[in-house]
Amino acid sequence: MERPELKQALGRLLGPAGPEVGCDVCFDELDRYVELEVAGRDADAAIPGLRAHLEGCPACREEHESLYAFVSGEQTL
Amino acid sequence: MSTATATVRNRVLPSRTDLSVAVEPQRHSLLDEESRAWLRDLRSEGGMRDAAIARLHALLLRAARFECARRRPGLPHLRGNDLDDLANQAADDALVSVLARLDDFRGASRFTTWVYKFALLEAAVKLRKRSWQGREVPLEPETWSLFTSAGIEPEAEVEQSELLATLQDAIADVLTPQQRRVLVALALNGVPIDVLAERLSTTRGALYKTLHDARRKLRRHLDEQGLSVDALLEDAQ
Repeated sequence: MERPELKQALGRLLGPAGPEVGCDVCFDELDRYVELEVAGRDADAAIPGLRAHLEGCPACREEHESLYAFVSGEQTL
Repeated sequence: MSTATATVRNRVLPSRTDLSVAVEPQRHSLLDEESRAWLRDLRSEGGMRDAAIARLHALLLRAARFECARRRPGLPHLRGNDLDDLANQAADDALVSVLARLDDFRGASRFTTWVYKFALLEAAVKLRKRSWQGREVPLEPETWSLFTSAGIEPEAEVEQSELLATLQDAIADVLTPQQRRVLVALALNGVPIDVLAERLSTTRGALYKTLHDARRKLRRHLDEQGLSVDALLEDAQ
């Protein structure tokens, strides 16, 4: 039986499995990470631990989504 | 624009609390021409600097308005004027932060991408705080309903009850009171981290470190109880 809400709740409670950076490193590296993503390059290999942090931190995840949307939107203008 | 006289006391940048991964910052990059021009103009004096600051503020305001527009559906009680005031405050505060940290720009991205993140952060934090204004921040578990599903097979229901009891015991027994409060507020009750940081007079970085340590302890405890977290997540799919 699929219980996606349980998986989500467990994920929020237990966080990412792998090593992750903190909010401060995430903020420092976010611009580089997003530009690599927008360029179609391997951002996760370049900045290890940032993707895991985005999974574990809703606030940083929101800010990443916004920067990605804003920068990729700029490039299509 | 009130940025020239604004103070840095409202800055919301995460404080430095590193976790387990060391990220080697890119030491040097060749700056693109546009980024070089931004730095040159912002470091100049007189009219050229004033004009660059005005252009920068306009960029930051555009990014802050973008964030407000994105979040607007979740903030039905905020009127257009309120959102525009908030975007302007965010752009003002972001400008102060950018000018204070100009020497930190390493050219790892374009200058404009680097500055946008300040505006988006300031706007996002203000929006989160606004949406929790006047609300009590719950530090005790409000609901475990997400961990229980109705109408499931009896066997799954037993497993579910056991999992819930194990989680509740682990939270009560293995975490420190501060870890418990932070985990419950952030991960169970959905309090935004900036809101909790403000209420507890701490920083976002410090709170996330506490949350991270609490999660690690919980995972370890579940492991010791013979419960594989990965298997639990797999089963929940």
